[in-house]
Amino acid sequence: MNTTRLMVLIWIVLLSWGTAGCNAQENQSQGAQDAPRSAAKSENKPNLRYEDDTLSVRIVMRTPDQLTAFYLGRGFNQAAIAHILETCFITPIVHNKTFDVLWLRLDDWRFTRGDTPIPRLKRDYWPAHWTDAGLPLAHQATFGWTLLPEERDLRPDEGAGGSVVIPRQDRPFTLTMRFHTGADKQGPVKTVVFEDLQCTANPS
Amino acid sequence: MHSQSILALTLGLAWLLLSSAAAVTLPKGILKLDGRPAPPLVLQNMDGERWDLSESRGHWVLVHFWATWCGPCRKEMPTLQAILPQLDPKKMELAIINTAESEDTVFSFLAAVAPDIVPLMDTDGQVTERWQPRGLPASFFVDPDGRLRYLALGGRPWDTPPYLNFIKGLANQ
Repeated sequence: MNTTRLMVLIWIVLLSWGTAGCNAQENQSQGAQDAPRSAAKSENKPNLRYEDDTLSVRIVMRTPDQLTAFYLGRGFNQAAIAHILETCFITPIVHNKTFDVLWLRLDDWRFTRGDTPIPRLKRDYWPAHWTDAGLPLAHQATFGWTLLPEERDLRPDEGAGGSVVIPRQDRPFTLTMRFHTGADKQGPVKTVVFEDLQCTANPS
Repeated sequence: MHSQSILALTLGLAWLLLSSAAAVTLPKGILKLDGRPAPPLVLQNMDGERWDLSESRGHWVLVHFWATWCGPCRKEMPTLQAILPQLDPKKMELAIINTAESEDTVFSFLAAVAPDIVPLMDTDGQVTERWQPRGLPASFFVDPDGRLRYLALGGRPWDTPPYLNFIKGLANQ
């Protein structure tokens, strides 16, 4: 093989290497979308899943029995569990499918019924209740790890799951999730809407 | 002569590009950190022995946070058990830290899936809070100077070639 052919071969290899990186960038831009997307309902049941090129979201609604079994099994006392059962636990599992940062920021999410906002019970809601219940520090720590983080820069292929808490509701409500994208949050904002969610009762 | 110079330049450039790409290639889900000093970590293990991260200077330490109630942690733990015999603790030490659970809970789980692992017990969860993992499980790689160098996002299959080779590569640096 002469010198010229060898150089051509090397440059072909190098250019192929670069092209692989470009494809990744293309996928990234295809994944970002502006328009709000609703998780479609079927047969009057709320759809608890959403997925596109940008992200996937799955929502689990915890029944009082499930919450009791989980926290009782971790040694929580009855007083603490009583406080938990006064509320409604929504457990989203979010997965970043882009090649960039997807921002999970709970203050960008809205719980509403019609035009009426439903306030979220943030982490600072709990310490007074734990003091009232005499819940040990270890259990408070465990509880904290079962909640979704307030803010997380989800990296490519990273997921996060945990509970978000609102006051117990007896009627359906809507959860609108907004996700900023890009390391500097300057990318397109992704919006996903889950309608007709309900705080789950124990099966009768 | 001219074409030989261009060939040498091309080869040099190719070597630079390929070697720099290889240097930053990490297994999926491993993040490079900024090398800030690792937070203090002094705990007792389940046998009651004290363990202090600051006494592990001179070799790498994989600091792993987990709990039995966390599904990905349960799936990952057998892979840590699998790599344990393959690592020289003088080069890569494993610090497996249970977050805020009782000894009974931890023992009954580990006895079944990872009998050789003696976990450190963060009984009130405060050490975990100080380390601020992004969630459970979380694995930090602390370098021989006590600095945070890498973070594994979530559970990883440590006993598979990309991850095992990564760990062995660090240990043999």
